[in-house]
Amino acid sequence: MVKLEELFANEENRVLCLGNEAIARGAIEAGVQLFAAYPGTPSSEASTAIIAASKKLGFYAEWSTNEKVAFETAYAASISGARAMTACKHVGINVLADALYSAAYMGTKGGFVLLVGDDPHCFSSQNEQDSRWLGVSAQVPVLEPSNPQEAKEFTKLAFEISEKFESILVVRSTTRISHARSDVQFDKYETSFREGDFEKSNRYKCLPALARANHPKLVSKMETIKEWISESGLSVIEGQNDTEYGIITSGISYAYVKDALEILDKDVPVLKLGMVAPLDEKSILEFARDKKNIIFIEEVDPYLEDRISALFIQNGIVPKIHGKCTGITKKYHELNSRLVAEALQSVIGGKLASVGEIQKAEEEITDFIPFRPPLFCPGCQHRAAFWELSKVVRKNKGIFASDIGCYSLDPWVTDTILCMGAGISMANGFSRVIKDKPIFAYIGDSTFFHTGLTALANAVYHKANINVLVLDNRMTAMTGFQPNPTEVIDIADVAKSLGVEYVVEFDPYDFENGKKIFEDALQHEGPTVIIMRKICANEWWRQQRRSGQKIEVYHIDPETCIACGTCIVQYQCPAIYWSIDTNSKGKKYSVIDPSICTGCSVCSQICPVEAISKAVDTDE
Amino acid sequence: MSKTYKMIVCGVGGQGILTITDIIVIAARKKGLHVLGSEVHGMAQKGGSVVTNLKIGEKLHSPTNPIGTCEVLVGLEQNESLRYMKFLKPRGIAITSNTVLFPISWKKDKKAADNAKEKIEENITKFDVKLVMIKAENLAIEAGLALTQNIVLLGALSQVEEFPLTEDELRDALKQRVPAKYVEQNLKAFELGIKTVKNL
Repeated sequence: MVKLEELFANEENRVLCLGNEAIARGAIEAGVQLFAAYPGTPSSEASTAIIAASKKLGFYAEWSTNEKVAFETAYAASISGARAMTACKHVGINVLADALYSAAYMGTKGGFVLLVGDDPHCFSSQNEQDSRWLGVSAQVPVLEPSNPQEAKEFTKLAFEISEKFESILVVRSTTRISHARSDVQFDKYETSFREGDFEKSNRYKCLPALARANHPKLVSKMETIKEWISESGLSVIEGQNDTEYGIITSGISYAYVKDALEILDKDVPVLKLGMVAPLDEKSILEFARDKKNIIFIEEVDPYLEDRISALFIQNGIVPKIHGKCTGITKKYHELNSRLVAEALQSVIGGKLASVGEIQKAEEEITDFIPFRPPLFCPGCQHRAAFWELSKVVRKNKGIFASDIGCYSLDPWVTDTILCMGAGISMANGFSRVIKDKPIFAYIGDSTFFHTGLTALANAVYHKANINVLVLDNRMTAMTGFQPNPTEVIDIADVAKSLGVEYVVEFDPYDFENGKKIFEDALQHEGPTVIIMRKICANEWWRQQRRSGQKIEVYHIDPETCIACGTCIVQYQCPAIYWSIDTNSKGKKYSVIDPSICTGCSVCSQICPVEAISKAVDTDE
Repeated sequence: MSKTYKMIVCGVGGQGILTITDIIVIAARKKGLHVLGSEVHGMAQKGGSVVTNLKIGEKLHSPTNPIGTCEVLVGLEQNESLRYMKFLKPRGIAITSNTVLFPISWKKDKKAADNAKEKIEENITKFDVKLVMIKAENLAIEAGLALTQNIVLLGALSQVEEFPLTEDELRDALKQRVPAKYVEQNLKAFELGIKTVKNL
């Protein structure tokens, strides 16, 4: 990560940083005055950087409770004349969409930028939703950078375009841009912030009659922007003119095209679109008019391909189309320069070294390579909570609706994971049609404040017979330990004030107590809320190490251990593994790695033969 | 340099993969070379399989290296080195630690670790690569800090022919990147890495 001082130093400099940090710098150079966001991979580092810089530069920034709240907060600042920005991951768009679609009608005043990080290949996500369609469905311009430098420039430019046309500007990044690390040129910037002033007007009320009047204005605004793009320099044509082939692409796909053409040693004209909505029809038609073949290279949806093919028909030009429709690239997962080289080779020819031998070796080893998915960290209280719960859930044949967060990694009891906040609502639904089984919902503190609150109010209102388990680890851990309202709002108080009669709290490491509480809660009619509160073990461990505090790790006595596997096979603590050597009985035993043990004590509680105890001090 | 130098660094989350990447990019930048890398954040927390792509050169476009393209692979764990071996080009160099970290899929088999070491090497030989296996853990302990296994491998990497950064350039970047109180151990780990490869 780039040093904070370097990120906002007001000087020209070439700085090594992540794409997301380049975006943050772009926002700072543009003089963003209000920033609000909810974290979500791959967008989080941009928000982290801007929020960190805000304190030094003296503008307002916050981690909001959800994407919709963040969007609306930023939108109010924009229509008061200040430059404002929000950021989210692709699925965060679904949460803020309600505000976005209507705000698009009403327009903006101070530059307003919505950064969205899409995640082709689902590296850290539940789907591969393609945000470029917002340009069509919400009628907002969408810029798509193709590298970290452009990500910075486009973010800055987005504020200017937004102010020029009074329009919300979407900057669409993808994981490979946001998490690319490269040297980026930083420029000097001005820090004069404007005083906000709201000019009263009917424009900002989405009442039917006003909305009806606003819609044609929005359509005409998009037409104006469309005319403007061809003069903006955002559409770039590269390569020798050629009447046979032309490639149309944008974003990270452009980078793959450049590499692929080098690999194939081919010179084919490329039209790179910097703005993917509205489409730069003039440049596209000029580029394609005399060509026999147009090749579309893009990730996931055939967005450019479908829209531009329609444009060709409307304008009576009929090049042969190559793309998703001919299967040269897939409609899912990310691309790379090899996949694009193969796709292009099938149309334009060229040399491409065979990787047959490598693929053959790869096939032979695939079964051997061990599965190493992300797991609960050593000492994770989710692991402890789920372990205890799994007994109760299994015994009672319960249905378990989980939610989005670290706890999505549960290997034991989870039946459903849908989207932020869905656990409690789905539990409500299950409870209406499944009468003979207990219904559980599981949710973290950040997700509780994100969209769990409304679902809980609904459950109380309708007297749902469900058990809501809240694991309050004091922060939004999964996306990088961001703070959230649990710092100042007590979730137990919230539940009680919403009218939940059964509210208990306990320490998830305390198994005996937990067991009693779960069994007791099942006897209760109506919604129960059980809060397991403990700081995220990973963050606690880091804090201890940073402050030089000693961690009291646990140790397994090789002679007492019967190698039953409770701690390794069942509990699956990553700090415990099988010994390489054997004990005096010639048997393998469990070993704790003291360098990652957090001393949570859970293994010592579940060991059936009491082989695990606090290690004698052998530190240093 | 006109050619783009492509490499990957892999291992298990928490092993210091990003630190190696950082040191290389710092050194490359100081030398005036362009760098482009790609990381995956988020779900790949502690304990998951982690890989970073790196390109050093002049004309850099896409941030990832597809299969069969890398000059060097630096692997901090044997299973992970094997997992990403396909990214090396034919006769590319695989610098890998002999460390084996217990993956979840071995939980049920008490002897999985015993059997694995031989099999991993056997599987690596299915690829047409030059394998440099380093006892990084032992050397890191010798250097005085078990966490410097990554730096041992960085030392070895500095000796790779055609690697665009010199020993001195990497050493300078290392001093800049690692915590001040551990510079001494890290420098020692770096030297041990160099020595091991020279003695090969």
